[in-house]
Amino acid sequence: MRRTLSILVGVVSLLVAAGAGLVAQQRGGGAQAPKLEVDPLWPKPFPVAKHWILGSVTGVAADAQDRVWVVHRGVDSLQNNEKGPTLEPWASSCCFAAPQILAFDASGSLVGTWEVAANKGYEWPHDPSGIAVDKAGNVYVGSGLAPSALPPPAARGRGPAPEDAAAGARGRGDAAAAGRGDAAPAGRGRGAAAPPPGTVVLKFDKTGKYVSTIRDLDRPLAIAVDDTANEVYVADDGHGRIAVFDANSGTLKREWKANGEAFKTITCVKIAKDGMVYVCDRGNNRIQVFAKDGKFQKEGSVAKETKGDGSVWDVAFSPDQRQLYVADGHNKKVWILDRTSLETIGSFGQGGRYPGEFYGVGSVAVDSKGNVYTGETYEGKRVQKFVKR
Amino acid sequence: MRRNLAIAASLAALLLALGFGQGVLEKRAEALQNGGGKVQVPRFEVDPTFPKPLPNHWYQGMSIGVGVDANDHVWIVHRPDSVNALEAAGDARTGECCSKAPPILEFDQQGTLLRHWGGSDGDGYQWPASNHGITIDHKGNVWVGGNGGGDGMVLKFTQDGKFLMMVGKKGVPVDSNSTEHFGQVAKIFVDKKENEAYISDGYGNKRVVVLDADTGKFKRFWGAYGNKPDDTNLGRYNPEAPPAQQFRTPVHCAEMSNDRFVYVCDRVNDRIQVFTPEGKFVKEAWVSKKTLGDGSTWDIAFSNDPQQKFIYLADGHDEKVWILDRQSLEILTSFGDGGKMPGQFYAVHSIATDSKGNIYTTETYDGRRLQRFLYKGMQTVTKGEDQGTVWPKTKTQ
Repeated sequence: MRRTLSILVGVVSLLVAAGAGLVAQQRGGGAQAPKLEVDPLWPKPFPVAKHWILGSVTGVAADAQDRVWVVHRGVDSLQNNEKGPTLEPWASSCCFAAPQILAFDASGSLVGTWEVAANKGYEWPHDPSGIAVDKAGNVYVGSGLAPSALPPPAARGRGPAPEDAAAGARGRGDAAAAGRGDAAPAGRGRGAAAPPPGTVVLKFDKTGKYVSTIRDLDRPLAIAVDDTANEVYVADDGHGRIAVFDANSGTLKREWKANGEAFKTITCVKIAKDGMVYVCDRGNNRIQVFAKDGKFQKEGSVAKETKGDGSVWDVAFSPDQRQLYVADGHNKKVWILDRTSLETIGSFGQGGRYPGEFYGVGSVAVDSKGNVYTGETYEGKRVQKFVKR
Repeated sequence: MRRNLAIAASLAALLLALGFGQGVLEKRAEALQNGGGKVQVPRFEVDPTFPKPLPNHWYQGMSIGVGVDANDHVWIVHRPDSVNALEAAGDARTGECCSKAPPILEFDQQGTLLRHWGGSDGDGYQWPASNHGITIDHKGNVWVGGNGGGDGMVLKFTQDGKFLMMVGKKGVPVDSNSTEHFGQVAKIFVDKKENEAYISDGYGNKRVVVLDADTGKFKRFWGAYGNKPDDTNLGRYNPEAPPAQQFRTPVHCAEMSNDRFVYVCDRVNDRIQVFTPEGKFVKEAWVSKKTLGDGSTWDIAFSNDPQQKFIYLADGHDEKVWILDRQSLEILTSFGDGGKMPGQFYAVHSIATDSKGNIYTTETYDGRRLQRFLYKGMQTVTKGEDQGTVWPKTKTQ
């Protein structure tokens, strides 16, 4: 075990060294990027008899108690080979989708699960996207898929999985997919009064009880809560706007669009402690910053040459608010920016499926100690913890 | 129970206790079905730091072969063509990461990448349309198969990637009685004593073929139960039907033990068949017999004690490694579970052991990893116990 530990430290140093290399290339300002190390053993495995796995992760948030909340796309995002026991006929013992809302503590223990299947009074989104927790513990979840993007149910084959496919046969058009998710979701029975998919933000209280729905949105991919003003900010992607609602009534209070060129894909909205509102314009590789009233403040670019999905998928602030972490699912890393200048001062991560690597990293959150948590969509299907050193 | 958000610590604890309690009961029930009793088995812990990150922004695709050489270097073969446009955004010039890694990768015991090569045709040989299987033989040479359409050959190289021999050729039809080519080979084993290569043939053909390892000359071949191979389509596997008298495709492994029995993975039929080197049927056993689709018996490695008391069986559909008693072919225990964390699997495809008894696995589909499981001595488990994810017993944080 001692040997394992020393190897671990070795690799961790290696990762840090890689990060340090990038920090050394920082572009002026003299800002220092925090040092982070992946914890390859976070979170802990689910109870073995459950055979639970995560689907594409589309939201990560840290709450006031440093619990880490995760939303994922569940069984709709699992390949047939990942969901053998759910197929008809039964095909293998692995696996079932874990409950779609999960909360972990800082040690990686599962402290809360939330079954959304047997719900009443609301329609669980096909493609839940984005999660936010307010001070009181209420949980908000967005939804990522436009109604027009829903494929017919027949498009989703079930039954025994195909043979080991030859090279390339499973190549997926990830980059072309809308929103944060990539795979086609299931058609599912809906009540007559239910809103169309991809148009709502759902609010639940801290016991998991459904509270209310904010409607008439179009791919609300992310949410932020302003506790003092009791307002909910929604990245209303399809409408190309940031929309602000009263957290209790769900009434629209104000809205605004991009400064200059229209938003291409709005995948985050986050409020800093100083009241600045940060918006991810993923497809344009840019962050725009606004006052709470929507007045434009400034903007910055990240990995400007990035094409495809774009570079700015989600942001989170360091506890001292000096740094901005940017999840970049296309370049497979987390950028570290100076929050004031919006200049890139470092990064960590690289492409791959090993600890500390990323595929489709689209969510990022920071706890009160400065530890960074990431969520991977597409076939990444992980949450990872990077410990602040 | 509906919509319980177990956020309050007390409720969470209760739910978890319930979950774990249920788990224990289910585990016990499963163990009892398998005969109860205590058994001695090797214990493993995943090494989450192996291998080290690849250099050059290289990205690893479906990983469909692993072998260990005489120096305990670990060789894998993966499919660069399976690295999609987002993963290979560097190659596509849409982003800075990543590029497809070369298909053959050699790692030392520290997990550092050493040699890397392969992927294109060369003088006298054709590279497979879809890579499959890697073996380092007793002379140190590297054998690879291929399961792409028309891949009818096996290739032999030096460890530096210098071409030595091609047996068979590309662009041939399925023919399980051919003495000139193969039908989409899954894996190769080389018997040091007779200098013979055992070919798992394959994804098109339904047989084991034995070659002279130097000349590539066909010496003998056989189908299930030692029958003459027959390419009749058997249809889908049905666990309730009488045992198939032919292998289903793919024939996914053929590994010889020290006492010279050949263990064949009849993957989709969920069974292992055991033969003499001449192809005489000895015995068979099913593992997770109800598994459909891709099947349960993907690849085999033997424990490294002289008696090779245990079989380690990779099951890429149930997402675990089964540990079997080699003599009785009974299941003793299993480890692993579905998932992307260290020690978990998605489509665990290939398995090998090193001189220290450590296990290496590779994952295909969207698993795309090489993992190492460190041998930690023996332990007592309830027979049939599902150990789940085997993490180091102490944590670093």
